[in-house]
Amino acid sequence: MRHAGHFARLFALVAITVVGFFFVRSKVVPKDFGVKGHFRLSAIADEAAREPRHIGSSTCADCHDEIATAWRTGKHHTPQCENCHGPGLMHTKVIGEEPTKAYPDKMLAVSALAIKRPTGLTECKWCHLKTFERPSTLKSITNVEAHVVQHQGTFTAATKCIDCHNPHTTVVTPAKKVIQ
Amino acid sequence: MTGPLTPDDVSRRAFLETVAKTGGTSFLFGSLFVNTALLRLPQDEAKASAKARRETEIGKGVIYGFVVDTTKCIGCGSCVRACRAENGVPDGYNRTWVEQYTFYPDGEVVVNSPNGGENGFAEPPAPRNEPTVVDQAPVRGFFVPKLCNHCIDTPCIQVCPVGASYKTDEGVVLVDHERCVGCAYCVQACPFGSRYLDPVKLTADKCTWCYHRVTKGLLPACVASCPAEARIFGNVSDPSSTISHILATNRVQVLKSYLGTRPRTRYIGLDSEVI
Repeated sequence: MRHAGHFARLFALVAITVVGFFFVRSKVVPKDFGVKGHFRLSAIADEAAREPRHIGSSTCADCHDEIATAWRTGKHHTPQCENCHGPGLMHTKVIGEEPTKAYPDKMLAVSALAIKRPTGLTECKWCHLKTFERPSTLKSITNVEAHVVQHQGTFTAATKCIDCHNPHTTVVTPAKKVIQ
Repeated sequence: MTGPLTPDDVSRRAFLETVAKTGGTSFLFGSLFVNTALLRLPQDEAKASAKARRETEIGKGVIYGFVVDTTKCIGCGSCVRACRAENGVPDGYNRTWVEQYTFYPDGEVVVNSPNGGENGFAEPPAPRNEPTVVDQAPVRGFFVPKLCNHCIDTPCIQVCPVGASYKTDEGVVLVDHERCVGCAYCVQACPFGSRYLDPVKLTADKCTWCYHRVTKGLLPACVASCPAEARIFGNVSDPSSTISHILATNRVQVLKSYLGTRPRTRYIGLDSEVI
């Protein structure tokens, strides 16, 4: 056995590599990897744990019941509150754990910051600007300038859609500040 | 054997014979396996995929499905904005987007999607070629919302080298952001352009069908915000669900069916020009 030493060293090297591989593998690969497939099983729970940021119009109606009723019974009930006002999660968080109608002024001011106040012009154009692809049943205008010309003398540069058109009920009331 | 081999122990003839026998035998068996794997006839493939299409998923636990009714979409972009707000999608990237298809008399089709339709749509851009007729008013047009198709045979999961892309029992394709190394191989593998590399997290990201919402009994943000009911989401394994009714009473199509990825997102009123 002239070469016994060679074989011993080779065997030791192979053994260390194999044992080392399985040791490192046990440390690096998560415990629940490969339980249901080639992925980490707890990743599903991680994804599902995220908090929804859109709270839904029914949650808005819990406090803003008057405007929610007007919106729901009107013609404009298909767009949801958060379509124009943005996601409401932070708004409910700022208000606190027990929201009531009578907020302290400070709280109301902070919560108002957490919700988006629509400009009353760009939001309308998302749906109601006329393009060729939109259905004719959808009320839409070709451009705002043409609409201004149509109502000449009653519009200024700062006029917004919501000055006359109530976005919650779609009722049209010529605004006083515009007509002056 | 008593000791290590010396060159004299094996004759050249014996060595060559052994090599030829072993090599020949393994080549024969190997080619047999390869032949059975590769020589599947096209009609067999068609039969298999037809069977897969007919397979019903009713009563197999919760399996989510998504239907996009392109005939109802008005192109307001509410879904795009809701998705961005709900999932914190960085600017310039989209998990869902809306495409505006406009057809002109000379046969040109213009596809437009400014910011994915996030700021709504204006009049479509003029055709790229010089107008040959005086009246270049469009003759036909529609909107097509796009999102991840959550394919049954996903190319994106197959290519992931670290097991960061996976499919849940509900059929939702998700990304494990702890494991993802950001190689973006899946971004290239997806034939629908549904994935992107998040510039902040530096991991691949995609539409999750709002998995964090639907597992809490809510609708995905895009479905909840759609004012035209152009997006329908639900459990396809429940025969009494709305989506099952819609799938049973409509003619639905999928995008790029020729790729054989078997998408779970299905479309009503899909035009042949839509890619």
